[in-house]
Amino acid sequence: MTGLLTAGSALWMAAPARLHAEVSDADFKALQETVAKLAGEVQSLRQTNQLVQQLHEQDQVQLQQLQQKLTETQQTAVDAQQKIAAAAATQTQPLPRVPIDETTVNHNFQILGDAEIQYAKADGGNGSFYLADFAPIFLYRGGDNILFEAGFDTTIANNAPAGGGYTTTFNLSFAQLDYVMTDWLTLCAGDMLLPLGTYSERGAGWLNKLPDDPLVRDALLPSSGVGAQLRGALPLGESGKIFNYSIYGVNGPSSADGSGLGSALDLGGNVGPNLHADPAGGGRVGLFLPFKPHYDLELGLSAMSGEWDNAGSHLWTAGVVDASLHLGSCFEVKGEYVRTRFGTDDLGMISQEGWWTQVGYKLSGLNLELPGINNVELIGRYDVVHGAYDSGNNAFDFNTRRYTVGYVYYITSALLFEGDYEFLHSNDPSQANQFILQLSYGF
Amino acid sequence: MHNPPFFSWPALALAAGCAFSLVGAGRAEAAPGDTNAVAVVTSSPVPVGPAPKRSLSGAELYSIHCNRCHAERYPTERTAAQWKTIMLHMQVRASIPGQQARRILQYLQENSGR
Repeated sequence: MTGLLTAGSALWMAAPARLHAEVSDADFKALQETVAKLAGEVQSLRQTNQLVQQLHEQDQVQLQQLQQKLTETQQTAVDAQQKIAAAAATQTQPLPRVPIDETTVNHNFQILGDAEIQYAKADGGNGSFYLADFAPIFLYRGGDNILFEAGFDTTIANNAPAGGGYTTTFNLSFAQLDYVMTDWLTLCAGDMLLPLGTYSERGAGWLNKLPDDPLVRDALLPSSGVGAQLRGALPLGESGKIFNYSIYGVNGPSSADGSGLGSALDLGGNVGPNLHADPAGGGRVGLFLPFKPHYDLELGLSAMSGEWDNAGSHLWTAGVVDASLHLGSCFEVKGEYVRTRFGTDDLGMISQEGWWTQVGYKLSGLNLELPGINNVELIGRYDVVHGAYDSGNNAFDFNTRRYTVGYVYYITSALLFEGDYEFLHSNDPSQANQFILQLSYGF
Repeated sequence: MHNPPFFSWPALALAAGCAFSLVGAGRAEAAPGDTNAVAVVTSSPVPVGPAPKRSLSGAELYSIHCNRCHAERYPTERTAAQWKTIMLHMQVRASIPGQQARRILQYLQENSGR
């Protein structure tokens, strides 16, 4: 140790003089400033490091929380899968495929129909707005071959001359389900418009070019019946000729009080529990013969028969011949002949008959260059209804004939302004000539 | 008073008038492939016979059927789906064979409003 000290001292004494050189004040000061600066930077770095440490710790905490949430979510997913598997295991057999097309969007609902308002003036009476009518038809198509259709008739009408005030009526005109089984066969069921002639099916409010229905329709024939029907049409060749047919069974006419008295016949009241034992049956066959577009002839023959009194002692029978002819787009003539017969307890056999024929001519066929004239169609109708019975000494014959002249002004193809004057000849004193205006819209 | 026969003279007159019209309609009919058509002789050794009958198009069937009871409605008044429903209703109400109804529907849908 002493030797080392001695050697060190000797070396120190022998070192060059520059190792012991003095540091100037300026250099010392500069060095001092540098050290201070470095100390400041170190302090700053220390602070930054502390901050980074804190952030790192926060990130660690957040990472732990996310990992915990992930674990919980995974567990929830596993639980849900287990529940689904358990439910599938307990599910019953899958539903069988149904034969109708319900797997595509193939349904449609629409409202068609018509609305009318009438102004009427009978001879000897005051003119007034006589009635307003709204008759919607609901169509629901449940596929390619299934249709449910229902028609309603809401009417407000003046009670005069029978009484004061007005009456609002709401009727179900028809409600039927149609199933098109093949191109030539359709099954219908429900409250159906009856194919006795063609007027009830094709003569709705705005389709009838005059404000009133033919006398014979309301007086002698039921317009609808509750039952079932098979109908269809067969093409005859490729020229458009058609043979159409229908056959049906319905409740049919009934007796208002169950008796067989002549005054009790009820054409449209047999709905619900059948008041008599046997339903009525009927049908129509027809030929539609088009020569070319707008030139065609249709002929039809209809019949219906059934018991009408509760005892089933009397038959009610009806026959109708119908025809329509179009010669060009401007001219049409159509009509029906109706005959009915039914037995009664008090009046014997009652026979009733009636017919109507209607002609229409559109003035556009004259090719006149007058404003508005091309929108006018002139209409004429002659209709008759009469009935007779003979029960020994008690004979009666009622007879009404009506001549109607009128027009239709086509504001549009579906908005019609109609007017007519009806000349009545009747042994019923309540019947009188009348003038009617009607605004009718088909939608 | 004796009971008149079930069908009286107005029915017979109506039926007779329609029968005459039917005869006239048969003569007036101008169906495609009419056997009275004049055969056209060409240079071919086999004479050309009457043109084969063709089916009526949807437009033709539309003009035949769709103004019998009401004024023709324009195809643009309804959508294609609405025409499908209406044609099903008309097929039943107007007794139109299914094949003709489909052709009319195709014509209406091709020219429909949407």
